[in-house]
Amino acid sequence: MADQATADRVTLTINGREVSVPAGTLLVDAAATVNIEIPIFCSHPKLDPVGCCRMCMVEVETPRGPRLMTACTTPVQPNMVVHTDTEQVRSVQEANLAFILANHPLDCPICDKGGECPLQDQTLRFGPGISLLVEPKRHKQKHYLLSDTIVLDQERCILCWRCIRYLEEWEDKPQIQLFERGADTVIDVQDGQVLDAKTSGNIIDICPVGALTNRVARFSYRPWQVEHTPSICDHCSLGCNLRMDSRTHRLRRIVGRENMQVNDQWICDKGRFAHAWVNHPERLREPLLRKNGELVPVPWREALEFVAEALQRIAQEAGPQAVGAIGSPKLSNESNYALQRLFRGVIGTNNVDHRDGGDVAALPTGLPALAHVMKPQYGPDPKVDTVFLFGLDPSEELPLLDVHLKRAVRRAGMKLIIAHPRRIELTRYQGPYLGYEPGTEVALLNGLARAVLEAGAPLPRQAQAHADRLREWVADADEAMMADLCRVDPAAVQEAARLLAESENALILYGPMVARGKQGPDVRQALINLALLTGHEEGLAYLGLEANSQGCRDVGLLPDRLPGHVPLEDAQAVQRLERLWQCKLPTEPGLTYSQMLDQAGGGVRALYVMGADPASERPSWAENLEQLELLVVQDLFLTETARRAHVVLPAVSWAEQEGTFTNLERRVQRAPRAVRDPHTKAAPDWMILDHLAMHLDVDWPFADERGITAEISRAAPIYQGLDWDALGDQGRQWDASLARPKLAFGPARQRAVPADPERPFVLVTGTVLYDGGALVSLTEELQQFAFGSKAVLHPQDAQRLGIDEGEAITVASPEGSLALTATLQEQVKPGTIWIPESLPGAPVGALLNGVYPVRVNVAKSGA
Amino acid sequence: MLTQSMREEIQALMARYPEGRQRSAILPALYVIQREFGYCPVEAQKELAEMLGIEPAEVGGVVTFYNMLHEEPKGEYHIEVCTNVPCMLRGAGKCMHHLEERLGIRHGEKTPDGAFALDHMECLGSCGSAPMAMVTEQSTGRIRYFEELDSPEDVDKFLALLKSGKAFQTLERWTPDGDPELEGVSAGPYRYGGMEPRYLMARVGKPGGHRLESYEADGGYQTARRVLHEMTPQEVIDQVKASGIRGRGGAGFPTGVKWGFIPKDVFPRYLVVNADESEPGTFKDRIIMEYDPHQLIEGIILSAFAIQAERAFIYIRGEYYFGYTRLTEAIQEAEAKGYLGQNIFGTDKNLQIVVHRGAGAYECGEETAQLTSLEGYRGHPRLKPPFPAVEGLYGKPTIVNNVESIANVTHVMRHGVEWYRQFGTEQSPGMRIFCLSGNVKRPGIYELPHGVTLRELIYDYGGGPEQDDAPIKAIVPGGLSMKILTADQIDTPLDYESIQAAGSLLGSAGVIVIDEAHSMVQVARRTLNFYREESCGKCTPCREGTAWLEEILERIEAGQGRLKDLELMEYLAANITGKSFCPFGDAAVWGLQSNLAKFRQEFTEWIQRTNPEQAGPEIPIRPIYRPDVERPSGLRESALEPRGEPIELHDHEIPANEVPAPNNPVQDIPASKKR
Repeated sequence: MADQATADRVTLTINGREVSVPAGTLLVDAAATVNIEIPIFCSHPKLDPVGCCRMCMVEVETPRGPRLMTACTTPVQPNMVVHTDTEQVRSVQEANLAFILANHPLDCPICDKGGECPLQDQTLRFGPGISLLVEPKRHKQKHYLLSDTIVLDQERCILCWRCIRYLEEWEDKPQIQLFERGADTVIDVQDGQVLDAKTSGNIIDICPVGALTNRVARFSYRPWQVEHTPSICDHCSLGCNLRMDSRTHRLRRIVGRENMQVNDQWICDKGRFAHAWVNHPERLREPLLRKNGELVPVPWREALEFVAEALQRIAQEAGPQAVGAIGSPKLSNESNYALQRLFRGVIGTNNVDHRDGGDVAALPTGLPALAHVMKPQYGPDPKVDTVFLFGLDPSEELPLLDVHLKRAVRRAGMKLIIAHPRRIELTRYQGPYLGYEPGTEVALLNGLARAVLEAGAPLPRQAQAHADRLREWVADADEAMMADLCRVDPAAVQEAARLLAESENALILYGPMVARGKQGPDVRQALINLALLTGHEEGLAYLGLEANSQGCRDVGLLPDRLPGHVPLEDAQAVQRLERLWQCKLPTEPGLTYSQMLDQAGGGVRALYVMGADPASERPSWAENLEQLELLVVQDLFLTETARRAHVVLPAVSWAEQEGTFTNLERRVQRAPRAVRDPHTKAAPDWMILDHLAMHLDVDWPFADERGITAEISRAAPIYQGLDWDALGDQGRQWDASLARPKLAFGPARQRAVPADPERPFVLVTGTVLYDGGALVSLTEELQQFAFGSKAVLHPQDAQRLGIDEGEAITVASPEGSLALTATLQEQVKPGTIWIPESLPGAPVGALLNGVYPVRVNVAKSGA
Repeated sequence: MLTQSMREEIQALMARYPEGRQRSAILPALYVIQREFGYCPVEAQKELAEMLGIEPAEVGGVVTFYNMLHEEPKGEYHIEVCTNVPCMLRGAGKCMHHLEERLGIRHGEKTPDGAFALDHMECLGSCGSAPMAMVTEQSTGRIRYFEELDSPEDVDKFLALLKSGKAFQTLERWTPDGDPELEGVSAGPYRYGGMEPRYLMARVGKPGGHRLESYEADGGYQTARRVLHEMTPQEVIDQVKASGIRGRGGAGFPTGVKWGFIPKDVFPRYLVVNADESEPGTFKDRIIMEYDPHQLIEGIILSAFAIQAERAFIYIRGEYYFGYTRLTEAIQEAEAKGYLGQNIFGTDKNLQIVVHRGAGAYECGEETAQLTSLEGYRGHPRLKPPFPAVEGLYGKPTIVNNVESIANVTHVMRHGVEWYRQFGTEQSPGMRIFCLSGNVKRPGIYELPHGVTLRELIYDYGGGPEQDDAPIKAIVPGGLSMKILTADQIDTPLDYESIQAAGSLLGSAGVIVIDEAHSMVQVARRTLNFYREESCGKCTPCREGTAWLEEILERIEAGQGRLKDLELMEYLAANITGKSFCPFGDAAVWGLQSNLAKFRQEFTEWIQRTNPEQAGPEIPIRPIYRPDVERPSGLRESALEPRGEPIELHDHEIPANEVPAPNNPVQDIPASKKR
């Protein structure tokens, strides 16, 4: 007999076997540790126990004889004696399955779940074998749309509440509920409402029967016929782990894959449903070369010879500085690494960048770790107690971070501080909200620093020496400035400052929205001051929003940084790379993304654009691109930029080539090839670049993507050891201490905010999940969710201007004007207008000119 | 859609609940909406969701859970006839039939002019004055009971009164005999009696007895004043524990012991008075609330003091509208006197009582389901442990006690433990209100000490069998959930132990007498109708099993039964009881199980008579499922093998006819198939 359970472990007996598990473990999980299977439906390791399906009844010995209990709701007790295989238990399991199956339609042959269905499996193992029912079956609604992406079959539903609980416990949007009662009970959405929670598709993954099916994938696969490829999502910088199921060269569906360090087991709806573009007929299938003004298909050799010849000629005639390359944070480390190596090493220019690359004042190391904000069901409490979101909207930009934050707020009491010009969705949780006037970011941050200093709490040791200087720098950011300039409640500023100062472990997160342009460095400095002042410098992080925003920086796709965040001036590093790459590297810093595009057709005469579409971003850039001597576009589709190109090189998507992506917490993760289309001439990015290098008379040593992965781990010291095999299925984080800069106090100056009575509105942009990009627009099921060409105003402003919901309006800045549809929302700050980026046919870039903030005029169209 | 005045009314209702718990106001708010629109329009539900800060689906889920909330308009007068077993035994079927004939509609329908809608209803707590109908006056949301509608003439009078517009001059119950002039006057309390003197019902029938002056004149509130000034909460708990009061709701758990489970130093605590009296055959709490509400309020003051709660909720079933108005008035009177509110009786104690109306769900009588309902959700039971005394309403320690239990507290504290224990037996002390219904001459409620025999109750007070030529066949001793006793068990004393020894439970002391003129098959069928209707649907065995049993019983009744159905029913029942989430599963099948065991002969005879060939139903042909194919399947598309790893960019041409056609051409998105 084992000793009595220690404080945190409990020993019990299940089917005569002694089991020792942590206290609080549920019987069902305790049995699983010794491979005893207890059938379950409602129980789910990620959801709170509910005990409604009654499938997991086991016998527990009590002083009054054996008692039936549900194993999914009963925590282990010391010396408990449990039986899961008695006659009684077996007959209860049979009877319960008879109840569950009584009105089940048994339409397994045409059910998507067939073959991977717990109900089938449990029936096989625990079921009665025959049916006693002679009554007619109950009929309910079949193939019923909960949304455009999720189909409900109420007859197959066994009312396990998993979907309801997911939406309640994780999404905090209980949009699915039980309706009616007793035998008539069904799950449903409210009449006239649609299920639009941004991670709603997860309920498909956890449905234990075929009640909830994926409308995008429906009837197009049998689970045993598809190939499973463990991969990651390429939509945002969180890097959710997922699994791609493919067959006959087609990506059939995407499901979530567990990674307890990143996404638990959830993925967002964009990641799940928006994959029609991978196998889309509009994909480019062969190289195109402009002949007589027309893009015509040509063989690869001809296209690449043309590009190589033109690049060499222009670099010779006008110098390498006249050539530039734009990569993409949507593409892998390997693709971007190869691009910058080609242009640095072969052409000899540092004009290599990507969108939100050299143009934003970033910090190199990202989030300390996602696990620090996760609150898994049976895991440690999150380390982080406070999160300050500055210019970020996780609900739209990083949906799984949104889920983690909500869970941490609701279950672990984490505090949220939100500074955003728009009342983003997360503001529904209690916590200071700083709805500042766009353009006053630095003042606001200085105001926070001032409030911390004024509160008089003891400062961290390293801050004490600088307190006086800092006090001077932020002296003007007083309550009056908060109220008058930033238009925020000074009390909320004080509350936020108090929370940050009191926090043991806070994260201060900022995004590209506040880090772009001329004010970016000042915002970064103000954030550094605030973080140092409150002792959270390790929690200060810039979050890029694209799947490989972090990786692009890591592999040196920046005009002023070499792979591994190494400055160009670091002679030792330059030497090392020159040896590795067998070339001479340029030393002058290159042009940033926006500089290259601004100067395209001027100082920049040739551009190589890989996976980016600047022409659709700003009309002025589209014009500039047309002035180029050479524009090469390497992409999946004939984008606006590709239409203006001299050469279009067809690439394949992330699902069709191997690669690694680095997420916002520096986790390098593998994305293996899941599908391969034998009918296309399109090729992986690296292969195109490799062949181009060959035409430029350089022989690269790569046999495949993994060769590049291996070279990155040599070229970038921070990636040391992170080759393909080492990464495994769950990825590995690189060590932040290898690249963390020494943060120092410094003055941050608020620029004058321009006033313009002619243009009374300030423009706010940002990202929405369902934008007008190809990923969303080519998935027909997502069209209803798409944001559309809309501008959002506060109802008060709209009323003043006589603008109604849905009315056509014109928004004009000195740069240009846009025709949009008006939408009214209280969440938008009065005096501002919100136009997200990359809306269909309405590039908000038309109103921007690199100036921030941009003031605009709003009028009814035709008025 | 919601007008300003409705919003204000709803906000006032929201303010009755603790800060941050405004969702609790969902049922009262939906009553406001239903009163204004005649039903709960989806748009109004959405606006209410906004006011309460919840998702519209959560409101929709609540609306569809509760019987009294409608998704489409009912008539101006919504007539609902109780046809549950106690009423059925006394001719509810005929009453319904007359109504259908007179109104020219079937139940479930509405007259073309929209004046009347007719429906079946489950037990309304009028078993002693059956058959009866409940009428809801749409425009005001008021509800009145019309009872003893025995004959077609009675039904005519009832309808004439409704049409005359005088039917809602008062809300007290109406009977044809009590109002020969058809002026709509009330009939007074229904039949009551029992021992002399009575305590719990001492003041029933007293003119103005529901008023505070009358109650005080009889010595009311003196006990509360004395206890609050002179005793400590622990002393009250000790005394209640010593008295041995056992819960009158059904389970019979000792009240004082329950109070003792409250964890120390956790505040706030809540007292919830379970007035969701819905067990068929039970109508005792109703009379206390209607005719002596101050007795209950004094009990609440004492109980709340004992458990140190500053808020008490009376969860009263929605159908008890008259009781609700009487309680509301009584609370106002007590507040005006300073007996409720801040510093009651001049002490430092505070107590606020909120009367919360349910909306038609038997399951909400189960204590955890009641708390869930009170919090503003669908009335599903919750996991135990934690028990409500530890983690109940709003996650705080909560005591849920039945109305009659609380009323007993008043008398224990007034007269003392010794006095109380002189009544009843050692294990079942005190007096009890027994509800007598079914086939007896004088159905009604009788206050008697525990231990009185069934025979005394049925013959001495109930006057014996209803018809002299139809002897008593079966007796349900504790509400419809309890196992049925046979006529030869009539000498069983009515106390917890004796009834348990006889193979049943005392439950809520609702005694239903069934005579030889009625078929046990019918009783079983109607019983399962009720449990199928009222199952909350949370757990599998109860949700699926009650519906399955109902179908079998209806088939047997319709002459399609097979003898092997009896074993099938026993199998199903055995796998519901003890396997379901809450005691509802047991309650649903105990009656059937005992019925099948004790009156099997009746079932066998019925089946052999109606279906001599034993021609059982054939297994119905399963419906052919046709998937709603909105797009061609990709499954059949040809699978060309990949042509090996492309070692370099390949330029070979692929003949056009080999390039597969895209299988997902962009189509118009089909219109959503929403209702």
